[in-house]
Amino acid sequence: MSSQISIQKRQSKTTRWLLAPGIIWMSLFLVVPILMIVYVSFWTQTTFNISPDPTLASWKQFFSSDTYTGSLWTTVRIWLIVLACTFVVGYPTALFVGLFVKSKTLSTVLLVICVIPFWTSFLIRVLAWRPMLGKEGAINIVLLKLGIIQQPIEVLLFTELSVIIGMTQIYCVFMVGPIAFMLSRIDRNIIEAARDLGAGFGRIFWKIIFPLSLPGVVVGAIFVSVMVLGEFATSGALSGRKVNLLGNIIVTQVGSLKWAMASVVGVILTVVMGIVIAGFLRIVDLKREL
Amino acid sequence: MESRILKPALGLYVALFVLFLYGPFVVLTIISFQQGPEGGPQFPIIEWSTYWYRHIFGLTPPSRIAPLPFGEALLRSLVLAFMTMVVSTVLGVMSAQAFRRKFKGSGVVFYLIVLGMMVPGVLTGLGTSLLANNVIGIERHWYTTAFATHVAYTFPFAFLVMLAILNRFDASVEEASWSLGVDPWTTFRKVTFPLIFPGVLSAMLFAFTLSLDEFPRTLFASGRDQTLPLAIYGTFSVEIHPNIFAFGVLTTLFSFALLSVYGLLMAMSVRRARKMAMQEDIA
Repeated sequence: MSSQISIQKRQSKTTRWLLAPGIIWMSLFLVVPILMIVYVSFWTQTTFNISPDPTLASWKQFFSSDTYTGSLWTTVRIWLIVLACTFVVGYPTALFVGLFVKSKTLSTVLLVICVIPFWTSFLIRVLAWRPMLGKEGAINIVLLKLGIIQQPIEVLLFTELSVIIGMTQIYCVFMVGPIAFMLSRIDRNIIEAARDLGAGFGRIFWKIIFPLSLPGVVVGAIFVSVMVLGEFATSGALSGRKVNLLGNIIVTQVGSLKWAMASVVGVILTVVMGIVIAGFLRIVDLKREL
Repeated sequence: MESRILKPALGLYVALFVLFLYGPFVVLTIISFQQGPEGGPQFPIIEWSTYWYRHIFGLTPPSRIAPLPFGEALLRSLVLAFMTMVVSTVLGVMSAQAFRRKFKGSGVVFYLIVLGMMVPGVLTGLGTSLLANNVIGIERHWYTTAFATHVAYTFPFAFLVMLAILNRFDASVEEASWSLGVDPWTTFRKVTFPLIFPGVLSAMLFAFTLSLDEFPRTLFASGRDQTLPLAIYGTFSVEIHPNIFAFGVLTTLFSFALLSVYGLLMAMSVRRARKMAMQEDIA
C-alpha cells in the first residue's frame, strides 16, 4: 500500500516537472504580455513620451474619434463578410472531399492540394493578388478577352472588395479542413437508412449532414475569425490604406510610438475576440464533440 | 442520392475552387519571368526572361533597382525557426507526456497552452514589446523577445500533435520495460521516443514552418535586425518589382524540398518500425 502511494507521489512530481517549463513559458510570454496591454492602456501619453501615471485619456480619445470607432466597425464588417465568404466557398469543397469522394487516397490528395499554397510566404501570397486584380490584371485581361466586359473593372484593386477577395482565398482552407474532417466521420449507414425511408437529398442534408458537420464549421469559424480579426497585412497591402482594421491602427500607433493608444486598441481587439470565441463555443460543445 | 447530377457538379466546383486557390500563384510565377529591368510587376509580359532570378543572386549588371536585401534576413529566419523548432518540440513532448496522467487543473493548463495559437499575433507581439520596451526597459531582438513569442505560438501546435500521438500510444511496452527494472528516463529514450518519433517529426515540421513565415509577432517583438517576412514587408512600401515574385517562387520550391526531406524521414522511420515488428514476429 505505502509503496503504491509513494509511486503516485513520485509520478505527480514527475508530472509537475514535465509541465513546469511549458506553463512558465506561456505565462511569461503570453499571459503577462496580454496583461501588459491592459496595464499600458491606462498610461499617460505625451507627444514623445509615455509614463505610468494612470489616466483614461487614451480611452476617451478612442471613443471620441470617428477614425478609431470607425475602424472597429470596419473590422467587424470585414470579419463577418469574410467569415460568410469562407463558409460559402469552403463548404461545398468540404462536402465533396469529406463525403462524396469514396476513395481515401483521393480525398487525401485533394486536401494536400489545398495545403500546398501555404508553402509560399504569406506576404508574397497577399502581394500576388495585385497583378491579379489590377486594372491591367489577369482577371480583367481574361474577362476582356472573353468579351464579358468592354471596359476593365477598376474597383477590383485597392478597395474593400480586394481585401475581402484576398482574405477569402487565404483563409478558406481553414474552413475546408475541419468541415471535411467532421463530414468524413459521419456514419454512412445513417444516410443510407434515411434514403431507404424515402428522404430526398435536400432533407438528408438539412436533417443529418449539416447538423453533424456543425462542430467542424465552428472550429473552422474560430480559426478564420482569429486570423481575420488580427489581420493588418492584407488590408494594408490590398486596400491602398483605405481599409483600416484595428490591427492597422495598432501598427500605425506603434510606428509613431503612441503605445498607450495602441494598447487601448489592443484591449478592444481582445474583447471582440473573446466575445466571438465564447459565442462560437456556445453553439457547439467542442469537448463533447471531439 | 442524386449523385448523378450532384457529384459531378460538386467535382466541377472543387476544380474551380482549386483554380481560385492557385490563381495568384500561377500569376506570380508568370510575372516572375517578366523581362528586366524595365518590365514591371504587371501584364503584359514584354518578353520572357530569367532576368529577375539572376537579379536575386546578383548576377545581372547593376541597374537602378537594388537587389533584394534578403540574404542576412533569410539566415536570421532560418536560425530563429531552428531555435523555435527545438524548444517548442521539447516543450510539446514534455507537456503531452505529462498529460498522459490525469492531474488536477489539467483543463486550465490545456487552455493556457492552446491559448498561444488562439491569440492573434498582433496582440502577443504588441504585449511582448510593451513588456520589454516600456515596462522592463530592455532592447528587443529577434533572438530574444521575438524568439519567445515564436515559441509561445508554435508550442501549442507541437503539444497538440504529440497529444494526438500519445493518445494512441500503447503503454504496455513501457510497463514491460519498467518491470524489467529499466529506469523511466532510459525507458523513454529507448522505448517511448523511437515509437513516437513520427509525431516528433510532424511537430518539428509544424514549428519550423510556422516560425519561418511568422510575421505579426516578429514585426512588433523583434528589434532593428529584420527576419525574412519583415524584409518582404519592407518592400511593400516602396515600388514592387518582379524580383519579389521570383523570390516567392524560389522559397516555395525550397519549402517543397523541405517537405520532401520530411516525407523521406517519415518513410524511413515507418519502414524501420515495420522491420522491427517483423523481427519480433519471427522471434
